[in-house]
Amino acid sequence: MTSLKPIARQAWALLASLPVTIVALALLMLLVVACTLAQTDLGTLGAVDTYMRSLVVWYQPPAVPFRLPVFPGGALVGLVLVLNLSAALARRFEFQPRKLGLWVVHAGLILLVAGEFCTGAFQVDTRMAIEEGQTVDFVESYHQMELAVSDRTDPAHTVEYGIPDALLRAGAVIPVPGTPLSFRVRRFFVNAVLARRVETDPPALADMGAGAGITVTPARPATADTEVNATTVAVEPLAGGRSYGTWLVSAVLGAPQAFIHEGRSYALSVRPRRYYLPYTLTLKKFSHDVYAGTDIPRNFSSLVHLSNPARGEERDVLIYMNQPLRYAGRTFYQASYGKGDTLSVLQVVANPGWLVPYLSCALITLGLLAHFGITLFGALQRRQPAPEAP
Amino acid sequence: MGALTLGFRKGARCGRPAPVLAGAAGVVAAAALALGLGCDRDQVSRATVDTRPAAAGQAPAAPATPMPEPQGAMPPGAQGAMPPGTLPPPPRPAGKGALRWALPKGWTEAPGGGMRFATLNPPSALGTAGTAPLEVSVVVLPGAAGGETANVNRWRGQIGLPALDEAAVAAARKGVRSRAGEVAVYDFTSDGQIRTRMVVGLLTSAQDQTWFLKLTGPEGAVAAVRPAFMKCLESLRLD
Repeated sequence: MTSLKPIARQAWALLASLPVTIVALALLMLLVVACTLAQTDLGTLGAVDTYMRSLVVWYQPPAVPFRLPVFPGGALVGLVLVLNLSAALARRFEFQPRKLGLWVVHAGLILLVAGEFCTGAFQVDTRMAIEEGQTVDFVESYHQMELAVSDRTDPAHTVEYGIPDALLRAGAVIPVPGTPLSFRVRRFFVNAVLARRVETDPPALADMGAGAGITVTPARPATADTEVNATTVAVEPLAGGRSYGTWLVSAVLGAPQAFIHEGRSYALSVRPRRYYLPYTLTLKKFSHDVYAGTDIPRNFSSLVHLSNPARGEERDVLIYMNQPLRYAGRTFYQASYGKGDTLSVLQVVANPGWLVPYLSCALITLGLLAHFGITLFGALQRRQPAPEAP
Repeated sequence: MGALTLGFRKGARCGRPAPVLAGAAGVVAAAALALGLGCDRDQVSRATVDTRPAAAGQAPAAPATPMPEPQGAMPPGAQGAMPPGTLPPPPRPAGKGALRWALPKGWTEAPGGGMRFATLNPPSALGTAGTAPLEVSVVVLPGAAGGETANVNRWRGQIGLPALDEAAVAAARKGVRSRAGEVAVYDFTSDGQIRTRMVVGLLTSAQDQTWFLKLTGPEGAVAAVRPAFMKCLESLRLD
């Protein structure tokens, strides 16, 4: 054990060292540049996932059948930076009032990096589209899809089960809690092109529903912000020891397809992942204002009615540029419009750690001001003329 | 960043546990916890959605279908577009190619969407609460729509019955005459404790279209409306 002590001490010193801080910050700067440039090809989300929210940046050279790790990812660098700053604080901590500002600055920096971890783990970006006069109680993901299983047996209400696309991997058997159903995933396509089968096509993936007459061709997953995947899955519903055949379900197949088990009717569809809300928004009016005599937009706004019976809330809210509605952990931003200015699209962000960057920036600012003030005060004191010798 | 590190004293000894250390460790632990918990978000979700018509004075609920494509974008630029290349349903026959029928007394009819041409609803009192609704779907597809045996086995699969070979399908086939031509009729009942019955009329028209009229619902309710449904099949005509 005694021989390990010097090694541990050296490791601790290395972890808390200033060079590690500088290298980590330099790597982050390079990652930011690379991520910015990559957005041209990968889109914002793809670039952020590849460079910033990964432990390692991978690259697959041409004619090489596997990927190679080429650079540390933002998550790894951020983690090292947090550990480095924490270790430095612990190792060098001295309770001296003149260093108070610096400790606050370091704490703010740690909080900033930790906040990004929190955002990466918990933030959910969604959208809500409402036409004038409509009431909506759900938001939909931009990029994630789901296999929706709708129990439509009761005419008064539908029970919706959503299987996220992250679970839809070939060979997986996914039970649906609260139902006798399980789904065996035969094939899964993040993106695909569907066409009506012709005689020369290979056998169809599905033997049930509309998919029996459709040929599926895999397609490159969408990366640009404006692209949407035609997510497609071939699934086999299993219930009560029976198979209900293989069904092809796709985001580009219009009508849901249904089967009946023990008297209950289940419809299958693929759609953007949906999050239901315990309250509703009704779009009363969407306004698209322009500067007089031009088509240049001046303002977009949505007058919505918020209804939350559980809280007894009934009120109108005006959402417009840079004035979002913050409610129950979600922020609703005015984002887009359509259908002859009768459709409003709101970007809806749920981020439990949204205050962290503000808090960390405030801490860093306060720390710098304190450090500057303390240093200035000390310097002024030192410049005071020494008392004359008698 | 150099200014930030001025307070680091080279070789300083780590004294007694500092409150800052505890705070920093807490932040790191929170970040690790966030990463760990973030992985648990991908679970099967469940929601109950009210599908009753909106009460008077209330706004209608949003359609179940995803949003239409916006025509304009504004920063931060949500697009809300649906995947390109959505497979359109086959064209709906109209005029002389459209099938007509005499609606049984007390039944209602609603136009369909997508591949469904129409929906016929027997009197609601005949349905059984807690089971699949009693209804007739009218679907039209171009050509032979995969062939009779494949279609019969797809219908059987929808209620959990195993596939039949051609001979068994032929044995299960009954015929009904109509002004639109010979209608093949199949009648199947599922296994299980709550049985679902399905009666399907299949008609191939001179316009090279295949029509399916499929009565589905609880076994007892289907038995009650089957005679009216058979008369409906006999009344089929192509105007």
